[in-house]
Amino acid sequence: MKVLVAKYDACLRSAVSENKMALRFTWSLLSEIPIARCHRAVSTSAARYVDDLTVKQVEPKSTHKTLMTSEEASHEKAVSGYITIDTPHDITAINGVPEEQLKTRRVLIKIPTKNSMQSGTNNLHRWKISFDEKQRWENPLMGWASTADPLSNTEVSFSSREDAIAFCEKNGWNWITESPPVKPPRVKSYGANFSWNKRTRRSTK
Amino acid sequence: MGHPGEGLLLGMGATRAQSSGPEKIEVFIDDQPVMVPPGTTVLQAAAEAGVEIPRFCYHERLSVAGNCRMCLVEVEKSVKPVAACAMPVMKGWRIKTDSDMTRKAREGVMEFLLINHPLDCPICDQGGECDLQDQSMAFGSDRSRFLDNKRAVEDKNIGPLVKTIMTRCIHCTRCVRFASEVAGVEDLGTTGRGSDMQIGTYVEKMLMSELSGNVIDLCPVGALTSKPYAFTARPWEIRRTDSVDVMDAVGSNIVVNHRTGEVLRILPRTNEEINEEWLSDKSRFACDGLKRQRLVYPMVKDSSGELRPCQWEDALLVAGRALAAAQGSVAAVAGGLADAESLVALKDLVNKLGGEATCTEEIFPEDGSGTDLRSSYLLNTTIAGVEEADLVLLVGTNPRFEAPLFNARLRKAWVHNELDVAVLGPNVNLTYEAEHIGEDPAIIEKLLSGTHPFSQRLKAARRPMVVVGSALLSRPDGGLLYARLQQLAHQLRAGCEGGAEWRVLNVLHRVASQVAALDLGYTPGVSKVRNAPPQVLYLLGADEGAITREDLPADCLVIYQGHHGDRGAEMADVVLPGAAYTEKMATYVNTEGRAQQAQAALVPPGMAREDWKIIRALSEVVGAQLPYDNLAEVRDRLTEVSPNLTRYGDVEEANYFAQASALAQLVKGKQEAAPIDVPQKVLEDFYMTNSVSRASPTMAKCIAAIKKEAANRHRDK
Amino acid sequence: MASKLARAGVRQVKPILSVDHGEARQRVLNLYKAWYRQLPYIVMDYDLPKSKEECRAKLREEFMKHHHVQDIRVIDMLVIKGQMELKETVEIWKQKHGLMAYWKDTVEPKPQGFLNKFLDGHE
Repeated sequence: MKVLVAKYDACLRSAVSENKMALRFTWSLLSEIPIARCHRAVSTSAARYVDDLTVKQVEPKSTHKTLMTSEEASHEKAVSGYITIDTPHDITAINGVPEEQLKTRRVLIKIPTKNSMQSGTNNLHRWKISFDEKQRWENPLMGWASTADPLSNTEVSFSSREDAIAFCEKNGWNWITESPPVKPPRVKSYGANFSWNKRTRRSTK
Repeated sequence: MGHPGEGLLLGMGATRAQSSGPEKIEVFIDDQPVMVPPGTTVLQAAAEAGVEIPRFCYHERLSVAGNCRMCLVEVEKSVKPVAACAMPVMKGWRIKTDSDMTRKAREGVMEFLLINHPLDCPICDQGGECDLQDQSMAFGSDRSRFLDNKRAVEDKNIGPLVKTIMTRCIHCTRCVRFASEVAGVEDLGTTGRGSDMQIGTYVEKMLMSELSGNVIDLCPVGALTSKPYAFTARPWEIRRTDSVDVMDAVGSNIVVNHRTGEVLRILPRTNEEINEEWLSDKSRFACDGLKRQRLVYPMVKDSSGELRPCQWEDALLVAGRALAAAQGSVAAVAGGLADAESLVALKDLVNKLGGEATCTEEIFPEDGSGTDLRSSYLLNTTIAGVEEADLVLLVGTNPRFEAPLFNARLRKAWVHNELDVAVLGPNVNLTYEAEHIGEDPAIIEKLLSGTHPFSQRLKAARRPMVVVGSALLSRPDGGLLYARLQQLAHQLRAGCEGGAEWRVLNVLHRVASQVAALDLGYTPGVSKVRNAPPQVLYLLGADEGAITREDLPADCLVIYQGHHGDRGAEMADVVLPGAAYTEKMATYVNTEGRAQQAQAALVPPGMAREDWKIIRALSEVVGAQLPYDNLAEVRDRLTEVSPNLTRYGDVEEANYFAQASALAQLVKGKQEAAPIDVPQKVLEDFYMTNSVSRASPTMAKCIAAIKKEAANRHRDK
Repeated sequence: MASKLARAGVRQVKPILSVDHGEARQRVLNLYKAWYRQLPYIVMDYDLPKSKEECRAKLREEFMKHHHVQDIRVIDMLVIKGQMELKETVEIWKQKHGLMAYWKDTVEPKPQGFLNKFLDGHE
């Protein structure tokens, strides 16, 4: 830009003699500034300025890519793809959980137990993990509930048992699972209340 | 129909088709096809398709009432909506559970229900786990059109466990049906009609049932709530831990509800094999005993003969020195609440020190095969197996109070499967009709020889069951009587239709630890300790007074390990505080031989520790270190001794009935003339049977209420 | 009780920095060398009461703690974390006690053995 402006100044100086010429010259120089693009950004008109449709539009090359060697380029390409590994999925080295919280804890994987006080079952469709209980106490001063256990409030739900197991394995926890209770089929009949020779006959209504 | 053979063939075909399961029919729930057996209700078919239809009066385990109308759904080509809970599906029905008509019907029903329902959710104990709250949010209208006064109903006093706020009642009659169908007490009923209808006992009297707490769970609104738990906590503040009950030998599955280191209430957990969805009152309400009379620090008797609190180091050292100095003269007695882990640790310790006597408080005869064959001390047919039986003979047991949920199962089979029950023992009220065949122990001999009138019935039975109670087994002639019953059961087994799969002989235990202890090789009964008093006696929660200070020499040191300051701690020289069943990861084996895990909901109070750890620590002090340092290793040891102890949830089948019966033939002895008796005959005897329930104020209130109820002139005597 | 499942199957995953073990190894070595060369300056800048040799032993110990890690992505992540730590140390964004925490001189040791843990209340 600085260079351009210097050129422009020089032109003005030389244009003292030939006024008309100078003006044309100035225009041609100014047009080097990508003015059309600036216009496009702020334009409110429906018309669109395109630089030059005859020239193929290319994305400007970033310096990062330009300076890359061919090995680096191929590496970058490899990293953006996939690699094949066969090691177990284990993130205990990087998840920052202290060792005593990994080795001593046991995770129970199960579908939540139905609350016998309610008849709804909507909460019983997902698998949840819970940790074995560690000490919690009531704060003697304020009566607040306290715990020394960073994991006891963890509640994660999964759509399947396998997902939950994979999660526990990845995190290095011992786990056990419990299967949900099976429901045997039951025959229900309104008529049984009134059967004359069965013990299902109801005395109270 | 001219040919007789043709009809016969047709008949056989019909039965065969039935046994292989009837053909299924197709119905459509919200255009989703689902195959169900004929006779299925619309509500069940919808559940099969994963669609839950709202309901108040319908309950899986109760009869169909069809009076709340909340489950109305549209069926295509039907003019009116139908009640899904009572209507059996027909082939090809298209049921719409979310159509305009269905939604309008639900909204209308909800509006009617809310007309007389008070707006007291903020002070209602059901708030947060209330079906009416949930369903009015989901299906109700957002405004009220009712401007009249609401109706009010007087509260009833039905005892110290169930609190009634009858204004909240929506007349679903679940409690009425539960009381008459499952609990078998016809105390609850309805009076009046229309808006004058009331649920109650008609005259003021107590709901006298060992299962009364279940009406609290059943009530879909806050009309029946728990009296001990009133205004204690909200459901969303509570932590829930799945566990196992130890108040009886049934091993009901429970959910321990706790907050800030305190058990607030215990609710049942569904297990079709054991307790279905019910829980006995003792299991449910005795949990407040876990906060009282607890041993919270180790204690050692000082020179003045008084127990003084001390540090673990001191107590372990005193106990350890005494054990080491005893030179193998060591014995152990395990009580009814001990878990398998501590039982195996204690047996290992005593054996390592050179002692032989490891006993249980509960008695089981050693004659014949004794406890060598597992089948002779289990409830072999399993609790759920009762539903296949057609004749049950109860000998010397009152299952109503010894194992209320086993009795509930008997009653269920009595109602639905025409099961017949006969009682040999005192004529107690079992909540269903049972034939009383006498109290004389000589009847057993007659039954065996086939000379008793009842023998014919037993022989004719297709799947008979003989249930022997621990009251019979603890008689002086228990061994002889039990041997005869074993022979009788074996005889019946040979003739019955069930064949080798059907096990006739059943033992109903009273305490939770017994089967695990016998599996681990404990000697039942304390006669071994009485006959050869040891220098050091180790009591593991032995609180029933089977052995007293008088049975022991004066220089015998008694170590008591347990969680409550009861009879055992009273006679002890060293007290080691242990954990109650809600405070430890432990294994319990129920009377069927089913191992189950209790999870730790809390940590033991004060300085108390998990039981097996105490024994493990003591072993190191004595110098006879036990080879396990963590729970997994203890459980490995359990597996080593008896693999069934860690196969959680499964019943490990036991056999060798023929061998047991052959050995039983050799048993000789003198039969006593005393009639067969049971210790728990009336409801009053039910509530306090172990150290936890004895410490429970609620259980004390129950007993007081029943004593008071005796003066109630409305109660039929 | 369910047993532990062996979950080591061959699978395709997104890499972080390295595409193979050789490359990951090179990154670890580079990081190690960078730390190693920086250690004398760190001791001086932070005025640590430790000698260069002690610091080198600790550096080696910290790297060897993860010698069993096989997963390329986990190695990369550890390298990134190590790089961040180095940057923080060099720029003196950490403080002296933050570095001394590597030696855990002031941490009371937990009781060892069953009986000690039992008496301490940990078991």
